[in-house]
Amino acid sequence: MRLMRRLTFLLAVVLSPQTLSLRAQDLTLPVKSDSVRFAAIGDMGTGEPAQYEVAQRMLQLHQKFPFTFVIMLGDNIYGGNNPGDFEKKFELPYKPLLDAGVQFYAALGNHDDTNERFYKFFNMDGQQYYSFKKGNVRFFALDSNYLDPKQLSWLERELAKGGTDWKICYFHHPLYSSGSFHGSSTELRAVLEPVFLKYGVQVVFAGHDHVYERVKPQKGIYYFTEGASGELRAGNLKKTDLTAAGYDKDRSFLSVEISGDDLYFQAISRTGLTVDSGNIRRQGAIQSSVPQTSAVSP
Amino acid sequence: MGAIVWFMVLAGAALIPVSASPQQVSPASVDPPAWRGFNQRVQQYLVLRKALPQQRTTKRQEEIIDRRRALAQAIRESRAEAKQGDIFTPEISEQFLKVIRSAFQGSNASNVRRTIRQGEPVPSLHLTVNGAYPQHLPLTTVPPTLLLRLPQLPERLAYRIVGHDFVLQDTEARLVIDYISGALP
Repeated sequence: MRLMRRLTFLLAVVLSPQTLSLRAQDLTLPVKSDSVRFAAIGDMGTGEPAQYEVAQRMLQLHQKFPFTFVIMLGDNIYGGNNPGDFEKKFELPYKPLLDAGVQFYAALGNHDDTNERFYKFFNMDGQQYYSFKKGNVRFFALDSNYLDPKQLSWLERELAKGGTDWKICYFHHPLYSSGSFHGSSTELRAVLEPVFLKYGVQVVFAGHDHVYERVKPQKGIYYFTEGASGELRAGNLKKTDLTAAGYDKDRSFLSVEISGDDLYFQAISRTGLTVDSGNIRRQGAIQSSVPQTSAVSP
Repeated sequence: MGAIVWFMVLAGAALIPVSASPQQVSPASVDPPAWRGFNQRVQQYLVLRKALPQQRTTKRQEEIIDRRRALAQAIRESRAEAKQGDIFTPEISEQFLKVIRSAFQGSNASNVRRTIRQGEPVPSLHLTVNGAYPQHLPLTTVPPTLLLRLPQLPERLAYRIVGHDFVLQDTEARLVIDYISGALP
Protein backbone atom coordinates (compact mmCIF):
# COMPACT_ATOMS: atom_id res chain seq x y z
CA MET A 1 0.00 0.00 0.00
CA ARG A 2 2.79 2.35 0.97
CA LEU A 3 4.69 1.45 -2.21
CA MET A 4 1.59 2.14 -4.32
CA ARG A 5 1.20 5.53 -2.69
CA ARG A 6 4.82 6.40 -3.36
CA LEU A 7 4.52 5.33 -6.99
CA THR A 8 1.30 7.27 -7.51
CA PHE A 9 2.79 10.50 -6.36
CA LEU A 10 6.15 10.09 -7.96
CA LEU A 11 4.37 9.44 -11.24
CA ALA A 12 2.21 12.50 -10.72
CA VAL A 13 5.36 14.59 -10.46
CA VAL A 14 7.25 12.92 -13.28
CA LEU A 15 4.38 13.12 -15.75
CA SER A 16 3.02 16.56 -15.00
CA PRO A 17 3.24 19.02 -17.91
CA GLN A 18 4.96 21.57 -15.73
CA THR A 19 7.75 19.14 -14.96
CA LEU A 20 8.16 18.18 -18.58
CA SER A 21 8.50 21.79 -19.64
CA LEU A 22 10.95 23.06 -17.08
CA ARG A 23 11.72 26.73 -17.43
CA ALA A 24 15.08 28.25 -16.77
CA GLN A 25 15.02 29.78 -13.37
CA ASP A 26 15.90 33.42 -13.40
CA LEU A 27 17.51 33.81 -10.06
CA THR A 28 17.29 37.33 -8.70
CA LEU A 29 18.86 36.49 -5.35
CA PRO A 30 22.52 37.46 -5.06
CA VAL A 31 23.75 34.23 -3.37
CA LYS A 32 26.32 36.05 -1.30
CA SER A 33 28.79 34.20 0.84
CA ASP A 34 27.79 33.74 4.47
CA SER A 35 24.22 34.89 3.83
CA VAL A 36 21.18 33.38 5.55
CA ARG A 37 19.13 31.58 2.91
CA PHE A 38 15.73 30.06 3.32
CA ALA A 39 12.42 29.32 1.64
CA ALA A 40 8.90 29.94 2.95
CA ILE A 41 5.90 27.78 2.17
CA GLY A 42 2.36 27.90 3.47
CA ASP A 43 -0.83 25.85 3.26
CA MET A 44 1.09 23.19 1.46
CA GLY A 45 0.19 19.89 3.12
CA THR A 46 -2.39 18.53 0.73
CA GLY A 47 -0.49 15.59 -0.69
CA GLU A 48 -1.85 16.53 -4.09
CA PRO A 49 0.29 16.70 -7.23
CA ALA A 50 0.48 20.50 -7.10
CA GLN A 51 2.31 20.31 -3.77
CA TYR A 52 4.80 17.91 -5.29
CA GLU A 53 5.29 20.21 -8.26
CA VAL A 54 6.03 23.19 -6.02
CA ALA A 55 8.46 20.98 -4.10
CA GLN A 56 10.17 20.09 -7.37
CA ARG A 57 10.48 23.75 -8.20
CA MET A 58 12.01 24.35 -4.79
CA LEU A 59 14.52 21.62 -5.49
CA GLN A 60 15.42 23.25 -8.79
CA LEU A 61 15.97 26.54 -7.03
CA HIS A 62 18.05 24.82 -4.37
CA GLN A 63 20.56 23.83 -7.00
CA LYS A 64 21.24 27.48 -7.81
CA PHE A 65 20.34 28.98 -4.47
CA PRO A 66 21.35 26.48 -1.81
CA PHE A 67 18.98 27.49 0.97
CA THR A 68 19.58 25.64 4.21
CA PHE A 69 16.13 25.69 5.76
CA VAL A 70 12.45 26.21 5.08
CA ILE A 71 9.92 27.97 7.29
CA MET A 72 6.44 26.44 7.17
CA LEU A 73 3.60 28.90 7.64
CA GLY A 74 0.96 26.45 8.78
CA ASP A 75 -1.52 23.97 7.37
CA ASN A 76 1.49 21.74 7.04
CA ILE A 77 -0.48 18.50 7.07
CA TYR A 78 -4.16 18.74 6.20
CA GLY A 79 -6.12 16.07 8.03
CA GLY A 80 -2.96 14.65 9.56
CA ASN A 81 -4.57 12.08 11.78
CA ASN A 82 -4.10 9.01 9.69
CA PRO A 83 -1.00 6.87 9.29
CA GLY A 84 0.74 7.81 6.07
CA ASP A 85 -0.36 11.43 6.08
CA PHE A 86 3.03 12.77 7.14
CA GLU A 87 4.73 10.67 4.54
CA LYS A 88 2.41 11.60 1.69
CA LYS A 89 2.08 15.28 2.60
CA PHE A 90 5.60 16.03 3.80
CA GLU A 91 8.30 13.37 3.63
CA LEU A 92 7.77 12.36 0.03
CA PRO A 93 7.32 15.75 -1.62
CA TYR A 94 10.30 17.26 0.19
CA LYS A 95 12.44 14.12 0.29
CA PRO A 96 15.16 15.45 -2.03
CA LEU A 97 15.44 18.58 0.07
CA LEU A 98 15.49 16.58 3.30
CA ASP A 99 18.15 14.33 1.82
CA ALA A 100 20.16 17.43 0.95
CA GLY A 101 20.12 18.41 4.62
CA VAL A 102 17.53 21.18 4.37
CA GLN A 103 15.77 21.68 7.70
CA PHE A 104 12.10 22.55 8.13
CA TYR A 105 10.76 24.77 10.91
CA ALA A 106 6.98 24.63 11.22
CA ALA A 107 4.34 26.93 12.63
CA LEU A 108 0.90 25.49 13.28
CA GLY A 109 -2.11 26.35 11.12
CA ASN A 110 -5.78 25.90 11.79
CA HIS A 111 -5.79 22.60 9.88
CA ASP A 112 -2.85 21.16 11.80
CA ASP A 113 -3.01 18.74 14.69
CA THR A 114 -1.15 20.35 17.57
CA ASN A 115 0.67 17.04 18.01
CA GLU A 116 2.68 17.95 14.91
CA ARG A 117 4.94 19.71 17.37
CA PHE A 118 6.29 16.29 18.34
CA TYR A 119 7.27 15.46 14.78
CA LYS A 120 11.04 15.69 14.68
CA PHE A 121 11.29 16.90 11.08
CA PHE A 122 9.31 20.03 12.01
CA ASN A 123 11.99 21.07 14.53
CA MET A 124 9.42 22.31 17.06
CA ASP A 125 10.85 20.28 19.95
CA GLY A 126 7.38 19.72 21.36
CA GLN A 127 6.60 23.44 21.55
CA GLN A 128 3.65 25.22 19.98
CA TYR A 129 5.77 28.34 19.62
CA TYR A 130 9.54 28.69 19.63
CA SER A 131 12.45 30.69 18.30
CA PHE A 132 15.73 29.95 16.62
CA LYS A 133 18.67 31.86 15.25
CA LYS A 134 20.46 31.62 11.93
CA GLY A 135 23.40 33.93 11.36
CA ASN A 136 22.29 37.45 12.22
CA VAL A 137 18.58 36.57 12.05
CA ARG A 138 16.25 35.51 14.82
CA PHE A 139 13.08 33.69 13.85
CA PHE A 140 9.98 33.50 16.02
CA ALA A 141 7.43 30.84 15.09
CA LEU A 142 4.10 31.61 16.74
CA ASP A 143 0.87 29.68 17.20
CA SER A 144 -1.75 32.13 15.95
CA ASN A 145 -4.55 29.65 16.66
CA TYR A 146 -4.10 30.25 20.34
CA LEU A 147 -2.39 33.49 21.22
CA ASP A 148 -2.80 33.47 24.98
CA PRO A 149 -1.07 35.75 27.52
CA LYS A 150 1.56 33.10 28.16
CA GLN A 151 2.62 33.10 24.51
CA LEU A 152 2.58 36.89 24.33
CA SER A 153 4.74 37.12 27.40
CA TRP A 154 7.16 34.58 25.97
CA LEU A 155 7.33 36.52 22.71
CA GLU A 156 8.20 39.73 24.51
CA ARG A 157 10.94 38.02 26.48
CA GLU A 158 12.43 36.40 23.39
CA LEU A 159 12.24 39.54 21.26
CA ALA A 160 13.94 41.51 24.01
CA LYS A 161 16.92 39.16 23.69
CA GLY A 162 17.16 39.88 19.98
CA GLY A 163 19.72 42.65 20.19
CA THR A 164 20.72 43.95 16.78
CA ASP A 165 19.73 40.81 14.91
CA TRP A 166 17.06 40.82 12.26
CA LYS A 167 13.79 39.80 13.87
CA ILE A 168 11.40 37.79 11.73
CA CYS A 169 8.08 36.45 12.99
CA TYR A 170 6.00 33.88 11.23
CA PHE A 171 2.68 32.24 11.93
CA HIS A 172 -0.44 31.16 10.11
CA HIS A 173 -3.00 33.96 10.15
CA PRO A 174 -2.00 37.15 8.31
CA LEU A 175 -2.29 40.46 10.13
CA TYR A 176 -2.69 42.18 6.78
CA SER A 177 -4.15 40.43 3.77
CA SER A 178 -6.13 41.30 0.67
CA GLY A 179 -7.31 37.73 0.24
CA SER A 180 -11.05 37.92 -0.07
CA PHE A 181 -11.69 34.54 1.57
CA HIS A 182 -10.13 35.42 4.93
CA GLY A 183 -8.51 38.84 4.83
CA SER A 184 -6.68 40.58 7.64
CA SER A 185 -6.74 39.08 11.12
CA THR A 186 -7.52 42.29 12.93
CA GLU A 187 -7.80 40.82 16.42
CA LEU A 188 -4.37 39.24 16.19
CA ARG A 189 -3.06 42.47 14.77
CA ALA A 190 -4.37 44.45 17.75
CA VAL A 191 -2.40 42.22 20.09
CA LEU A 192 0.74 41.48 18.07
CA GLU A 193 1.49 44.65 16.18
CA PRO A 194 2.34 46.75 19.25
CA VAL A 195 4.81 44.07 20.34
CA PHE A 196 6.37 43.91 16.88
CA LEU A 197 6.78 47.67 16.84
CA LYS A 198 8.18 47.85 20.32
CA TYR A 199 10.89 45.28 19.67
CA GLY A 200 11.72 46.16 16.08
CA VAL A 201 10.39 43.17 14.15
CA GLN A 202 11.18 43.94 10.52
CA VAL A 203 9.48 41.19 8.54
CA VAL A 204 6.46 38.94 9.10
CA PHE A 205 5.43 35.87 7.09
CA ALA A 206 1.99 34.25 7.22
CA GLY A 207 -0.27 31.95 5.21
CA HIS A 208 -3.98 31.05 5.54
CA ASP A 209 -5.16 33.00 2.49
CA HIS A 210 -4.31 30.73 -0.42
CA VAL A 211 -2.56 33.37 -2.47
CA TYR A 212 0.77 35.17 -2.50
CA GLU A 213 0.84 38.78 -1.40
CA ARG A 214 3.45 41.29 -0.37
CA VAL A 215 1.87 44.08 1.62
CA LYS A 216 3.10 47.65 1.55
CA PRO A 217 5.07 48.29 4.74
CA GLN A 218 2.74 48.86 7.65
CA LYS A 219 4.27 51.07 10.32
CA GLY A 220 7.65 50.09 8.91
CA ILE A 221 7.06 46.32 9.01
CA TYR A 222 7.03 44.19 5.85
CA TYR A 223 4.30 41.55 5.65
CA PHE A 224 4.26 38.62 3.25
CA THR A 225 1.45 36.11 2.82
CA GLU A 226 2.42 32.83 1.20
CA GLY A 227 -0.53 30.51 1.50
CA ALA A 228 -0.44 28.93 -1.92
CA SER A 229 2.32 26.33 -1.75
CA GLY A 230 -0.16 23.47 -2.04
CA GLU A 231 -3.63 24.92 -1.85
CA LEU A 232 -4.75 27.72 -4.17
CA ARG A 233 -7.74 30.03 -4.36
CA ALA A 234 -7.31 31.29 -7.87
CA GLY A 235 -8.56 34.83 -8.35
CA ASN A 236 -9.04 35.35 -4.64
CA LEU A 237 -6.61 38.24 -4.24
CA LYS A 238 -8.61 41.44 -4.45
CA LYS A 239 -5.96 44.08 -4.81
CA THR A 240 -6.37 46.72 -2.12
CA ASP A 241 -4.42 49.71 -0.89
CA LEU A 242 -2.44 47.21 1.14
CA THR A 243 -1.12 45.31 -1.84
CA ALA A 244 2.41 45.96 -3.02
CA ALA A 245 2.47 42.83 -5.17
CA GLY A 246 0.53 39.62 -5.37
CA TYR A 247 -0.15 36.49 -7.33
CA ASP A 248 -3.18 34.21 -7.27
CA LYS A 249 -3.07 32.41 -10.60
CA ASP A 250 -1.04 29.42 -9.45
CA ARG A 251 0.78 27.92 -6.50
CA SER A 252 3.97 29.56 -5.33
CA PHE A 253 6.70 29.70 -2.71
CA LEU A 254 9.08 32.33 -1.42
CA SER A 255 12.83 32.31 -1.30
CA VAL A 256 14.72 34.73 0.90
CA GLU A 257 18.33 35.72 1.41
CA ILE A 258 19.62 37.95 4.18
CA SER A 259 23.08 39.40 4.04
CA GLY A 260 24.07 42.08 6.51
CA ASP A 261 21.34 44.70 6.46
CA ASP A 262 19.81 43.53 3.18
CA LEU A 263 16.97 41.09 2.71
CA TYR A 264 16.37 39.83 -0.83
CA PHE A 265 13.22 37.98 -1.75
CA GLN A 266 11.93 36.14 -4.79
CA ALA A 267 8.50 34.57 -5.08
CA ILE A 268 8.34 31.77 -7.62
CA SER A 269 5.31 30.03 -9.08
CA ARG A 270 4.81 26.32 -9.54
CA THR A 271 5.74 26.72 -13.20
CA GLY A 272 8.91 28.67 -12.47
CA LEU A 273 7.67 32.19 -13.07
CA THR A 274 9.16 34.84 -10.83
CA VAL A 275 6.03 36.58 -9.57
CA ASP A 276 7.71 39.05 -7.26
CA SER A 277 11.20 39.98 -6.24
CA GLY A 278 13.02 42.75 -4.50
CA ASN A 279 15.24 43.92 -1.73
CA ILE A 280 14.55 45.40 1.69
CA ARG A 281 17.34 47.33 3.31
CA ARG A 282 17.33 47.48 7.06
CA GLN A 283 18.08 50.89 8.51
CA GLY A 284 18.23 50.63 12.28
CA ALA A 285 16.04 48.57 14.56
CA ILE A 286 12.69 49.44 13.05
CA GLN A 287 13.03 51.58 9.95
CA SER A 288 13.45 50.05 6.53
CA SER A 289 13.73 51.61 3.15
CA VAL A 290 11.21 51.36 0.35
CA PRO A 291 12.07 48.09 -1.35
CA GLN A 292 13.46 47.89 -4.86
CA THR A 293 11.10 45.42 -6.41
CA SER A 294 9.58 43.96 -9.51
CA ALA A 295 6.37 41.99 -9.71
CA VAL A 296 3.77 40.56 -12.03
CA SER A 297 0.17 41.72 -11.64
CA PRO A 298 -2.11 39.66 -9.47
CA MET B 1 3.03 46.93 26.56
CA GLY B 2 5.55 44.78 28.37
CA ALA B 3 4.23 45.80 31.71
CA ILE B 4 0.70 45.10 30.59
CA VAL B 5 1.59 41.63 29.38
CA TRP B 6 3.48 40.85 32.57
CA PHE B 7 0.56 42.04 34.60
CA MET B 8 -1.73 39.81 32.61
CA VAL B 9 0.53 36.81 33.15
CA LEU B 10 0.77 37.41 36.86
CA ALA B 11 -2.93 38.01 37.12
CA GLY B 12 -3.61 34.87 35.12
CA ALA B 13 -1.35 32.86 37.37
CA ALA B 14 -3.32 34.07 40.35
CA LEU B 15 -6.49 33.29 38.45
CA ILE B 16 -7.70 36.81 38.60
CA PRO B 17 -9.58 37.55 35.43
CA VAL B 18 -7.45 39.69 33.19
CA SER B 19 -8.68 42.80 31.51
CA ALA B 20 -7.23 44.08 28.28
CA SER B 21 -7.96 46.52 25.57
CA PRO B 22 -9.70 47.04 23.27
CA GLN B 23 -12.70 45.99 25.34
CA GLN B 24 -12.40 45.99 29.07
CA VAL B 25 -14.26 43.65 31.35
CA SER B 26 -15.23 45.28 34.57
CA PRO B 27 -13.57 43.49 37.49
CA ALA B 28 -16.93 43.61 39.20
CA SER B 29 -18.43 41.49 36.47
CA VAL B 30 -16.45 38.41 37.43
CA ASP B 31 -16.04 36.50 40.63
CA PRO B 32 -12.43 35.50 41.52
CA PRO B 33 -13.37 32.75 44.00
CA ALA B 34 -15.28 31.01 41.22
CA TRP B 35 -12.18 31.13 38.99
CA ARG B 36 -10.17 29.62 41.83
CA GLY B 37 -12.54 26.69 41.98
CA PHE B 38 -12.10 26.21 38.27
CA ASN B 39 -8.33 26.26 38.66
CA GLN B 40 -8.45 23.65 41.39
CA ARG B 41 -10.44 21.32 39.16
CA VAL B 42 -7.98 21.89 36.31
CA GLN B 43 -5.10 21.09 38.68
CA GLN B 44 -6.85 17.90 39.76
CA TYR B 45 -7.09 16.90 36.14
CA LEU B 46 -3.38 17.55 35.67
CA VAL B 47 -2.49 15.40 38.66
CA LEU B 48 -4.40 12.54 37.07
CA ARG B 49 -2.77 13.29 33.75
CA LYS B 50 0.80 13.33 35.09
CA ALA B 51 0.85 9.62 35.75
CA LEU B 52 -0.13 8.79 32.18
CA PRO B 53 2.06 8.35 29.08
CA GLN B 54 3.23 11.57 27.44
CA GLN B 55 4.04 12.51 23.88
CA ARG B 56 7.67 12.91 22.93
CA THR B 57 9.49 14.01 19.81
CA THR B 58 9.86 11.35 17.16
CA LYS B 59 10.46 10.96 13.44
CA ARG B 60 7.61 8.47 13.16
CA GLN B 61 4.05 9.64 12.78
CA GLU B 62 2.78 6.24 13.84
CA GLU B 63 4.37 6.75 17.25
CA ILE B 64 2.61 10.09 17.65
CA ILE B 65 -0.72 8.54 16.75
CA ASP B 66 -0.18 5.48 18.95
CA ARG B 67 0.79 7.62 21.94
CA ARG B 68 -2.19 9.91 21.41
CA ARG B 69 -4.54 6.94 21.34
CA ALA B 70 -2.93 5.32 24.37
CA LEU B 71 -3.07 8.57 26.27
CA ALA B 72 -6.70 9.16 25.33
CA GLN B 73 -7.64 5.66 26.42
CA ALA B 74 -5.78 6.04 29.72
CA ILE B 75 -7.53 9.33 30.41
CA ARG B 76 -10.92 7.83 29.63
CA GLU B 77 -10.25 4.99 32.03
CA SER B 78 -8.92 7.30 34.72
CA ARG B 79 -11.99 9.50 34.68
CA ALA B 80 -14.56 7.07 33.46
CA GLU B 81 -17.28 8.73 35.53
CA ALA B 82 -16.59 12.22 34.21
CA LYS B 83 -19.59 14.10 32.90
CA GLN B 84 -20.40 17.48 31.49
CA GLY B 85 -20.23 20.15 34.17
CA ASP B 86 -17.58 18.49 36.33
CA ILE B 87 -15.04 21.18 35.49
CA PHE B 88 -17.30 23.78 33.96
CA THR B 89 -19.65 23.64 36.94
CA PRO B 90 -22.87 25.64 36.65
CA GLU B 91 -21.35 28.36 38.82
CA ILE B 92 -18.17 28.70 36.77
CA SER B 93 -20.09 28.37 33.51
CA GLU B 94 -21.94 31.54 34.48
CA GLN B 95 -18.63 33.34 34.85
CA PHE B 96 -17.40 32.09 31.50
CA LEU B 97 -20.67 33.05 29.84
CA LYS B 98 -20.42 36.52 31.29
CA VAL B 99 -16.95 37.04 29.85
CA ILE B 100 -17.65 35.35 26.52
CA ARG B 101 -20.85 37.26 25.93
CA SER B 102 -19.24 40.56 26.82
CA ALA B 103 -16.69 39.86 24.11
CA PHE B 104 -19.51 39.66 21.60
CA GLN B 105 -20.87 43.04 22.59
CA GLY B 106 -19.43 46.49 22.33
CA SER B 107 -16.88 48.07 20.08
CA ASN B 108 -14.70 45.00 19.51
CA ALA B 109 -17.54 42.57 18.84
CA SER B 110 -17.15 42.70 15.07
CA ASN B 111 -13.46 41.84 15.34
CA VAL B 112 -14.22 38.91 17.62
CA ARG B 113 -16.84 37.56 15.23
CA ARG B 114 -14.49 38.11 12.31
CA THR B 115 -11.71 36.17 14.06
CA ILE B 116 -14.00 33.21 14.54
CA ARG B 117 -15.28 33.37 10.97
CA GLN B 118 -11.71 33.39 9.65
CA GLY B 119 -11.03 30.15 11.51
CA GLU B 120 -13.44 28.33 9.19
CA PRO B 121 -15.93 27.49 11.96
CA VAL B 122 -18.10 24.42 11.66
CA PRO B 123 -21.73 24.04 12.66
CA SER B 124 -22.22 22.65 16.14
CA LEU B 125 -21.27 19.03 16.49
CA HIS B 126 -22.36 16.58 19.11
CA LEU B 127 -19.69 16.66 21.81
CA THR B 128 -19.20 14.25 24.67
CA VAL B 129 -16.96 14.43 27.70
CA ASN B 130 -14.00 12.06 27.18
CA GLY B 131 -14.98 11.94 23.52
CA ALA B 132 -12.46 12.52 20.75
CA TYR B 133 -12.17 16.06 19.50
CA PRO B 134 -13.61 15.73 15.99
CA GLN B 135 -10.97 14.69 13.48
CA HIS B 136 -10.25 17.00 10.56
CA LEU B 137 -11.98 19.83 12.37
CA PRO B 138 -10.14 23.09 11.68
CA LEU B 139 -9.09 24.92 14.81
CA THR B 140 -11.17 28.02 15.21
CA THR B 141 -8.90 30.79 16.45
CA VAL B 142 -9.90 31.64 19.97
CA PRO B 143 -9.99 35.45 19.88
CA PRO B 144 -6.87 36.64 21.71
CA THR B 145 -8.75 39.45 23.40
CA LEU B 146 -11.03 36.79 24.88
CA LEU B 147 -8.09 34.66 26.00
CA LEU B 148 -6.69 37.68 27.80
CA ARG B 149 -9.76 37.75 30.01
CA LEU B 150 -10.10 34.07 30.87
CA PRO B 151 -8.16 32.02 33.38
CA GLN B 152 -4.95 30.83 31.79
CA LEU B 153 -4.60 27.15 31.20
CA PRO B 154 -1.50 25.06 31.76
CA GLU B 155 0.28 23.32 28.92
CA ARG B 156 -1.60 20.47 27.31
CA LEU B 157 -4.96 22.12 27.86
CA ALA B 158 -6.65 24.69 25.66
CA TYR B 159 -9.96 26.39 25.18
CA ARG B 160 -11.59 25.59 21.85
CA ILE B 161 -14.61 26.84 20.02
CA VAL B 162 -16.74 24.25 18.25
CA GLY B 163 -19.80 25.78 16.68
CA HIS B 164 -21.54 27.54 19.54
CA ASP B 165 -19.93 25.40 22.22
CA PHE B 166 -16.96 26.35 24.37
CA VAL B 167 -14.64 23.42 24.96
CA LEU B 168 -11.83 22.49 27.33
CA GLN B 169 -9.56 20.27 25.28
CA ASP B 170 -6.61 18.06 26.14
CA THR B 171 -4.43 18.95 23.18
CA GLU B 172 -2.15 15.91 23.26
CA ALA B 173 -4.89 13.37 23.71
CA ARG B 174 -7.28 15.36 21.50
CA LEU B 175 -10.03 14.74 24.02
CA VAL B 176 -12.95 16.87 25.09
CA ILE B 177 -12.46 17.27 28.84
CA ASP B 178 -15.56 19.37 29.38
CA TYR B 179 -17.65 21.91 27.52
CA ILE B 180 -20.28 24.59 27.87
CA SER B 181 -23.11 24.12 25.41
CA GLY B 182 -24.27 27.16 23.51
CA ALA B 183 -21.77 29.50 25.14
CA LEU B 184 -21.22 31.50 21.98
CA PRO B 185 -24.04 33.51 20.51
